[in-house]
Amino acid sequence: MLSCKALVASSSDYLDGQLRFTEGLSVRAHLAMCGNCRRFVRQLRLTLRVLQQMPEPLVSDLDAVAAQLADAAKKPD
Amino acid sequence: MPINDVELLPRLLAGEQKAFAELVAAYQGAMMAVAYAIVGRRYADEAVQDAWLAVVRSLAGFQGRSSLKTWLLTITANTAKARLRQNRRTVQLDEQPAPHGSVGAERFASDGHWLNAPQAWHEDSPEALLSASELRECLDKTLSSLSELQNSVLLLRERQGLELEAICNLLDISLSNVRVLLHRARLKVFATLEHFEETGQC
Repeated sequence: MLSCKALVASSSDYLDGQLRFTEGLSVRAHLAMCGNCRRFVRQLRLTLRVLQQMPEPLVSDLDAVAAQLADAAKKPD
Repeated sequence: MPINDVELLPRLLAGEQKAFAELVAAYQGAMMAVAYAIVGRRYADEAVQDAWLAVVRSLAGFQGRSSLKTWLLTITANTAKARLRQNRRTVQLDEQPAPHGSVGAERFASDGHWLNAPQAWHEDSPEALLSASELRECLDKTLSSLSELQNSVLLLRERQGLELEAICNLLDISLSNVRVLLHRARLKVFATLEHFEETGQC
Protein backbone atom coordinates (compact mmCIF):
# COMPACT_ATOMS: atom_id res chain seq x y z
CA MET A 1 0.00 0.00 0.00
CA LEU A 2 1.33 3.37 -1.12
CA SER A 3 2.13 5.87 1.66
CA CYS A 4 0.96 9.49 1.53
CA LYS A 5 4.56 10.56 1.08
CA ALA A 6 4.97 8.24 -1.90
CA LEU A 7 1.70 9.47 -3.33
CA VAL A 8 2.92 13.06 -3.22
CA ALA A 9 6.14 11.95 -4.92
CA SER A 10 4.12 10.36 -7.76
CA SER A 11 1.54 13.13 -8.02
CA SER A 12 3.04 14.99 -10.99
CA ASP A 13 3.56 11.80 -12.95
CA TYR A 14 -0.03 10.86 -12.13
CA LEU A 15 -1.36 14.17 -13.46
CA ASP A 16 0.85 13.93 -16.57
CA GLY A 17 -0.15 10.35 -17.34
CA GLN A 18 3.43 9.14 -16.86
CA LEU A 19 2.73 6.27 -14.46
CA ARG A 20 2.80 2.65 -15.50
CA PHE A 21 -0.55 0.90 -15.35
CA THR A 22 0.00 -0.75 -11.96
CA GLU A 23 1.48 2.43 -10.46
CA GLY A 24 -1.60 4.33 -11.63
CA LEU A 25 -3.81 1.74 -9.99
CA SER A 26 -2.09 2.06 -6.62
CA VAL A 27 -2.37 5.86 -6.79
CA ARG A 28 -6.09 5.59 -7.54
CA ALA A 29 -6.60 3.03 -4.77
CA HIS A 30 -4.82 5.31 -2.29
CA LEU A 31 -6.85 8.34 -3.35
CA ALA A 32 -10.09 6.39 -2.96
CA MET A 33 -9.26 5.88 0.71
CA CYS A 34 -7.36 9.01 1.72
CA GLY A 35 -9.09 12.36 2.00
CA ASN A 36 -5.89 14.23 2.79
CA CYS A 37 -4.26 13.07 -0.41
CA ARG A 38 -7.40 13.74 -2.44
CA ARG A 39 -7.28 17.29 -1.14
CA PHE A 40 -3.58 17.54 -1.97
CA VAL A 41 -4.10 16.39 -5.56
CA ARG A 42 -7.08 18.72 -5.97
CA GLN A 43 -4.99 21.64 -4.73
CA LEU A 44 -2.07 20.64 -6.93
CA ARG A 45 -4.39 20.65 -9.98
CA LEU A 46 -5.63 24.07 -8.92
CA THR A 47 -2.01 25.23 -8.63
CA LEU A 48 -1.39 24.20 -12.24
CA ARG A 49 -4.51 26.01 -13.41
CA VAL A 50 -3.32 29.12 -11.60
CA LEU A 51 -0.03 28.91 -13.50
CA GLN A 52 -1.89 28.49 -16.81
CA GLN A 53 -3.94 31.59 -16.16
CA MET A 54 -1.23 33.88 -14.87
CA PRO A 55 -0.95 36.81 -17.25
CA GLU A 56 2.12 36.69 -19.49
CA PRO A 57 4.49 39.61 -19.14
CA LEU A 58 4.08 41.99 -22.06
CA VAL A 59 6.90 42.47 -24.53
CA SER A 60 8.16 45.90 -23.54
CA ASP A 61 9.55 47.08 -26.88
CA LEU A 62 7.03 45.30 -29.07
CA ASP A 63 6.68 48.03 -31.70
CA ALA A 64 10.42 48.49 -32.10
CA VAL A 65 11.00 44.74 -32.43
CA ALA A 66 8.15 44.37 -34.94
CA ALA A 67 9.43 47.29 -37.03
CA GLN A 68 12.92 45.81 -37.11
CA LEU A 69 11.62 42.40 -38.17
CA ALA A 70 9.26 43.80 -40.81
CA ASP A 71 12.21 45.75 -42.17
CA ALA A 72 14.43 42.68 -42.27
CA ALA A 73 11.65 40.70 -43.98
CA LYS A 74 11.42 43.26 -46.79
CA LYS A 75 15.16 43.18 -47.43
CA PRO A 76 16.17 39.53 -47.65
CA ASP A 77 19.94 39.15 -47.76
CA MET B 1 -3.06 33.61 -27.16
CA PRO B 2 -3.55 31.28 -30.13
CA ILE B 3 -3.28 33.13 -33.40
CA ASN B 4 -4.14 31.97 -36.87
CA ASP B 5 -0.95 30.77 -38.58
CA VAL B 6 -2.52 30.48 -42.02
CA GLU B 7 -3.83 33.99 -42.02
CA LEU B 8 -0.64 35.44 -40.57
CA LEU B 9 1.95 33.91 -42.87
CA PRO B 10 1.30 35.88 -46.09
CA ARG B 11 1.21 39.12 -44.09
CA LEU B 12 4.58 38.25 -42.53
CA LEU B 13 6.03 37.45 -45.93
CA ALA B 14 4.81 40.82 -47.17
CA GLY B 15 6.70 42.47 -44.31
CA GLU B 16 3.62 43.88 -42.61
CA GLN B 17 4.69 45.40 -39.31
CA LYS B 18 1.40 44.73 -37.55
CA ALA B 19 1.71 41.03 -38.41
CA PHE B 20 5.15 40.92 -36.78
CA ALA B 21 3.77 42.66 -33.71
CA GLU B 22 1.12 39.93 -33.42
CA LEU B 23 3.71 37.23 -33.90
CA VAL B 24 6.09 38.62 -31.29
CA ALA B 25 3.30 39.25 -28.78
CA ALA B 26 2.00 35.71 -29.16
CA TYR B 27 5.22 33.74 -29.13
CA GLN B 28 8.06 35.67 -27.55
CA GLY B 29 7.17 34.44 -24.06
CA ALA B 30 7.54 30.81 -25.09
CA MET B 31 10.75 31.57 -26.98
CA MET B 32 12.19 33.31 -23.92
CA ALA B 33 11.44 30.24 -21.81
CA VAL B 34 13.35 28.02 -24.25
CA ALA B 35 16.30 30.42 -24.45
CA TYR B 36 16.38 30.81 -20.68
CA ALA B 37 16.74 27.09 -20.21
CA ILE B 38 19.58 26.76 -22.71
CA VAL B 39 21.74 29.87 -22.36
CA GLY B 40 20.54 31.23 -19.02
CA ARG B 41 19.15 34.54 -17.91
CA ARG B 42 22.15 36.61 -19.01
CA TYR B 43 22.04 35.68 -22.67
CA ALA B 44 18.38 34.86 -23.17
CA ASP B 45 17.52 38.25 -24.71
CA GLU B 46 20.32 37.99 -27.25
CA ALA B 47 19.45 34.41 -28.11
CA VAL B 48 15.83 35.39 -28.75
CA GLN B 49 16.99 38.27 -30.96
CA ASP B 50 19.15 35.84 -32.94
CA ALA B 51 16.14 33.56 -33.21
CA TRP B 52 13.85 36.30 -34.56
CA LEU B 53 16.36 37.20 -37.24
CA ALA B 54 16.72 33.55 -38.18
CA VAL B 55 12.92 33.32 -38.32
CA VAL B 56 12.68 36.24 -40.69
CA ARG B 57 15.40 34.76 -42.92
CA SER B 58 13.72 31.38 -43.18
CA LEU B 59 10.09 32.49 -43.20
CA ALA B 60 9.74 31.88 -46.93
CA GLY B 61 10.82 28.28 -46.40
CA PHE B 62 8.27 27.56 -43.65
CA GLN B 63 6.34 24.58 -44.96
CA GLY B 64 3.56 24.46 -42.42
CA ARG B 65 4.38 20.84 -41.62
CA SER B 66 4.51 21.75 -37.94
CA SER B 67 2.64 24.56 -36.23
CA LEU B 68 4.22 27.99 -36.36
CA LYS B 69 4.80 27.75 -32.60
CA THR B 70 6.70 24.46 -32.84
CA TRP B 71 8.76 25.85 -35.70
CA LEU B 72 9.60 29.05 -33.79
CA LEU B 73 10.58 27.12 -30.68
CA THR B 74 12.81 24.76 -32.68
CA ILE B 75 14.59 27.72 -34.27
CA THR B 76 14.99 29.31 -30.85
CA ALA B 77 16.47 26.14 -29.39
CA ASN B 78 18.89 25.87 -32.32
CA THR B 79 20.08 29.47 -32.19
CA ALA B 80 20.42 29.29 -28.42
CA LYS B 81 22.48 26.11 -28.69
CA ALA B 82 24.67 27.72 -31.35
CA ARG B 83 25.31 30.57 -28.95
CA LEU B 84 26.29 28.18 -26.26
CA ARG B 85 29.92 27.64 -27.13
CA GLN B 86 30.65 25.44 -24.18
CA ASN B 87 30.68 21.76 -23.66
CA ARG B 88 27.29 20.32 -23.11
CA ARG B 89 26.00 21.62 -19.82
CA THR B 90 25.13 19.17 -17.11
CA VAL B 91 21.52 19.29 -16.05
CA GLN B 92 21.35 20.80 -12.60
CA LEU B 93 18.78 19.02 -10.52
CA ASP B 94 20.16 20.54 -7.34
CA GLU B 95 17.66 22.38 -5.31
CA GLN B 96 17.75 26.06 -4.65
CA PRO B 97 15.51 27.01 -1.73
CA ALA B 98 12.18 28.60 -2.68
CA PRO B 99 10.53 31.35 -0.58
CA HIS B 100 7.92 29.00 0.89
CA GLY B 101 9.80 25.73 0.61
CA SER B 102 8.21 22.68 -0.94
CA VAL B 103 6.15 19.74 0.28
CA GLY B 104 9.13 18.09 1.91
CA ALA B 105 9.90 15.18 4.18
CA GLU B 106 9.07 17.27 7.26
CA ARG B 107 5.40 17.10 6.30
CA PHE B 108 5.32 13.32 6.85
CA ALA B 109 5.69 10.90 9.75
CA SER B 110 8.26 8.14 9.54
CA ASP B 111 5.57 5.73 8.29
CA GLY B 112 4.86 8.10 5.38
CA HIS B 113 1.51 9.42 6.65
CA TRP B 114 0.81 13.14 6.63
CA LEU B 115 1.92 14.89 9.84
CA ASN B 116 0.79 18.21 8.58
CA ALA B 117 -1.89 17.52 5.99
CA PRO B 118 -3.10 20.18 3.55
CA GLN B 119 -5.94 22.33 4.88
CA ALA B 120 -8.91 23.58 2.89
CA TRP B 121 -8.24 26.74 0.88
CA HIS B 122 -10.53 29.74 0.87
CA GLU B 123 -10.63 29.97 -2.89
CA ASP B 124 -11.13 27.14 -5.30
CA SER B 125 -10.85 28.79 -8.70
CA PRO B 126 -7.73 30.18 -10.39
CA GLU B 127 -9.58 33.41 -11.18
CA ALA B 128 -10.43 34.00 -7.51
CA LEU B 129 -6.89 33.20 -6.40
CA LEU B 130 -5.30 35.44 -9.03
CA SER B 131 -7.58 38.34 -8.20
CA ALA B 132 -5.31 39.06 -5.22
CA SER B 133 -2.49 41.18 -6.66
CA GLU B 134 -0.37 40.34 -3.64
CA LEU B 135 -0.57 36.66 -4.54
CA ARG B 136 0.40 37.36 -8.15
CA GLU B 137 3.50 39.19 -6.95
CA CYS B 138 4.21 36.41 -4.52
CA LEU B 139 4.02 33.81 -7.30
CA ASP B 140 6.39 35.90 -9.44
CA LYS B 141 8.85 35.83 -6.57
CA THR B 142 8.63 32.07 -6.30
CA LEU B 143 9.01 31.62 -10.06
CA SER B 144 12.10 33.80 -10.13
CA SER B 145 13.62 31.77 -7.29
CA LEU B 146 13.57 28.66 -9.49
CA SER B 147 16.67 27.68 -11.45
CA GLU B 148 16.55 28.81 -15.08
CA LEU B 149 15.96 25.27 -16.29
CA GLN B 150 13.27 24.52 -13.71
CA ASN B 151 11.53 27.80 -14.46
CA SER B 152 11.56 27.14 -18.20
CA VAL B 153 10.31 23.58 -17.92
CA LEU B 154 7.44 24.74 -15.72
CA LEU B 155 6.43 27.60 -18.02
CA LEU B 156 6.71 25.50 -21.18
CA ARG B 157 4.53 22.84 -19.65
CA GLU B 158 1.90 24.84 -17.78
CA ARG B 159 1.69 28.13 -19.58
CA GLN B 160 2.60 27.02 -23.09
CA GLY B 161 0.96 23.62 -22.82
CA LEU B 162 3.84 21.68 -24.40
CA GLU B 163 3.97 17.89 -24.11
CA LEU B 164 6.79 16.47 -21.99
CA GLU B 165 8.37 14.92 -25.11
CA ALA B 166 8.46 18.29 -26.86
CA ILE B 167 10.24 19.82 -23.87
CA CYS B 168 12.82 17.00 -23.87
CA ASN B 169 13.53 17.56 -27.56
CA LEU B 170 13.77 21.33 -27.38
CA LEU B 171 16.01 21.43 -24.35
CA ASP B 172 17.98 18.22 -24.97
CA ILE B 173 17.21 16.75 -21.58
CA SER B 174 15.91 13.33 -20.70
CA LEU B 175 12.27 12.61 -19.92
CA SER B 176 13.15 11.60 -16.38
CA ASN B 177 14.94 14.91 -15.82
CA VAL B 178 11.98 16.84 -17.18
CA ARG B 179 9.68 14.94 -14.82
CA VAL B 180 11.88 15.67 -11.80
CA LEU B 181 12.31 19.35 -12.68
CA LEU B 182 8.60 19.78 -13.25
CA HIS B 183 7.54 18.04 -10.07
CA ARG B 184 9.90 20.02 -7.85
CA ALA B 185 8.89 23.30 -9.45
CA ARG B 186 5.19 22.50 -9.02
CA LEU B 187 5.61 21.66 -5.34
CA LYS B 188 7.34 24.99 -4.72
CA VAL B 189 4.50 26.89 -6.37
CA PHE B 190 2.03 24.75 -4.41
CA ALA B 191 3.83 25.70 -1.18
CA THR B 192 3.51 29.38 -2.04
CA LEU B 193 -0.23 29.11 -2.70
CA GLU B 194 -0.69 27.09 0.46
CA HIS B 195 1.28 29.60 2.53
CA PHE B 196 -0.75 32.45 1.09
CA GLU B 197 -4.04 30.67 1.74
CA GLU B 198 -3.05 29.93 5.33
CA THR B 199 -1.54 33.27 6.30
CA GLY B 200 -3.04 35.75 3.81
CA GLN B 201 0.44 37.08 3.09
CA CYS B 202 3.50 36.33 1.05
